[in-house]
Amino acid sequence: MSQHPFRDRVAIVGVGATPYSKNSGVSTLTMALRAIRLAVEDAGLRLDDIDGVACHRVNDSAPASIVAEAIGKRDLHFFLDQFGGGSTSHAILGNAAMAVATGQAECVVCWRSVNARSEFRMGGTGRPAPDQLEFQYQAPFGYAHPPQQFAMIAREYMLNYGATSEDFGSVAIAQRWYAQRNPRALMRSPLSMDDYLNSRWIVEPLRLFDCCLETDAAVALILTSTERARDLRQIPVTISGAMWGSGHTLFSNRRPDLATSGVAAASQRLWAQAGLGPDEVDVAQIYDAFTPLVLIEMEDFGFCEKGEAGAFVRSGETGLGGSLPVNTHGGHLSEGYVHGLNHCAEAVHQLRGECGERQVEGAEVALTTGQGGYVMGNSSAAVLRRGA
Amino acid sequence: MSEGDAVGHLIPTPDRDSQQWWDALARHEFVLQRCTECETWRWPPREICNRCGCFEARWASVSGRGTLTSWVVNRQAFLPGFPVPYVVVNVRLDEQEDCKLIGSFRGPVEALRGGLPVRAVFEDIDANTTLLAWEPAD
Repeated sequence: MSQHPFRDRVAIVGVGATPYSKNSGVSTLTMALRAIRLAVEDAGLRLDDIDGVACHRVNDSAPASIVAEAIGKRDLHFFLDQFGGGSTSHAILGNAAMAVATGQAECVVCWRSVNARSEFRMGGTGRPAPDQLEFQYQAPFGYAHPPQQFAMIAREYMLNYGATSEDFGSVAIAQRWYAQRNPRALMRSPLSMDDYLNSRWIVEPLRLFDCCLETDAAVALILTSTERARDLRQIPVTISGAMWGSGHTLFSNRRPDLATSGVAAASQRLWAQAGLGPDEVDVAQIYDAFTPLVLIEMEDFGFCEKGEAGAFVRSGETGLGGSLPVNTHGGHLSEGYVHGLNHCAEAVHQLRGECGERQVEGAEVALTTGQGGYVMGNSSAAVLRRGA
Repeated sequence: MSEGDAVGHLIPTPDRDSQQWWDALARHEFVLQRCTECETWRWPPREICNRCGCFEARWASVSGRGTLTSWVVNRQAFLPGFPVPYVVVNVRLDEQEDCKLIGSFRGPVEALRGGLPVRAVFEDIDANTTLLAWEPAD
């Protein structure tokens, strides 16, 4: 098989993140700038080196063009202001990498900046439901917020594949263990199955600890060519493959099964592009706005057969020392919710060997994913490799 | 209020693709677009068939029968005017496996199960607006 022309051409060379909090006290523009500065410093670059910008947002954050202007860009070579939440997090990476691989830009910064707790709560209460396009068919029934939509998915997954509350709880517990070993994580107290089962219902079958933490934070990543990356400060982490594909909108009459995500089809392309398979992944950061998504995506990426991810997690295989450590930062459930980009940041840290107590020994290949293709109808993910 | 009772509603905002759907519901007609070429039921209303690409369709009556594929019980209040708990269901229409609607549920919460046969009932929200609810068919 000839090598895919995209494979390992572009590297992530810098990572920056603001503190994660319930109230940043600053604007999304300020947070984006702070994360970008940290990422540039991490890479050993200067702001002047950046000639491309990419972010994703849902009208909840500073536009890419304003951020570019703020960092002094006068002749931007590439910009992307992607509409979307977590399903598009890795799509901006993929698009930025294409820009670098094709020579449109040399050095692109990707970020997500949200005051998702103090200003704009995606799953919050009291916000008027978006009443447009397909939302008009659900919002009138009091059904418009992510926890409700993902509870519907969770129930269908339970009905079709026998998943249990304990399966969901085991995801939350496994990730909390990692969060206790991550100084950045917001939730660092121990979590037991009793704690999980006794936590209050949000939307049955989802409990409090099935839901991610709406967070104020920004994460930024710097991409440049793998060739140039070899001369920079950090161990390069190359993008072996990136995919952005279709998913469910919950309604369209070509998507009958909620228990299988859009990833099931798109992941095949990702593995082929990367020249790798699930067996070769050392650590996976899997989008976890809600616990059932981790199980569904693990199956749809090919780590487990359908319906078997719950038993896999309960047996400890996603813990440190297991066959597939998952969400080693604590994930959106316990570290914080930066809509997928903190997953990519953690994947980079793992591949560089920077994770201390939670480090996966000898990690060479990581999968990092966005939301698996529900609601908005998109999915995205990337396979990363520790470079030479 | 028990969990199965009718609950609050928001008034939908029709668009130019969906106006006929909402107008038909207000007349207590449960109709969907059906592809003129391949007979696929089209949901939600669209200019094009996503199976065969045909641009032609007619509005045709459906049986109003379906089965539950999933449901949620809302425990945390998300929206003003929707006292908790309340149930929202996902229904697969008998007409077509991949034709699924969201709606409210009229019935005891104990009756909820995967595959439950349900039938549509019209709920008038105001003088111009009707929504679909679902009740056990037996």
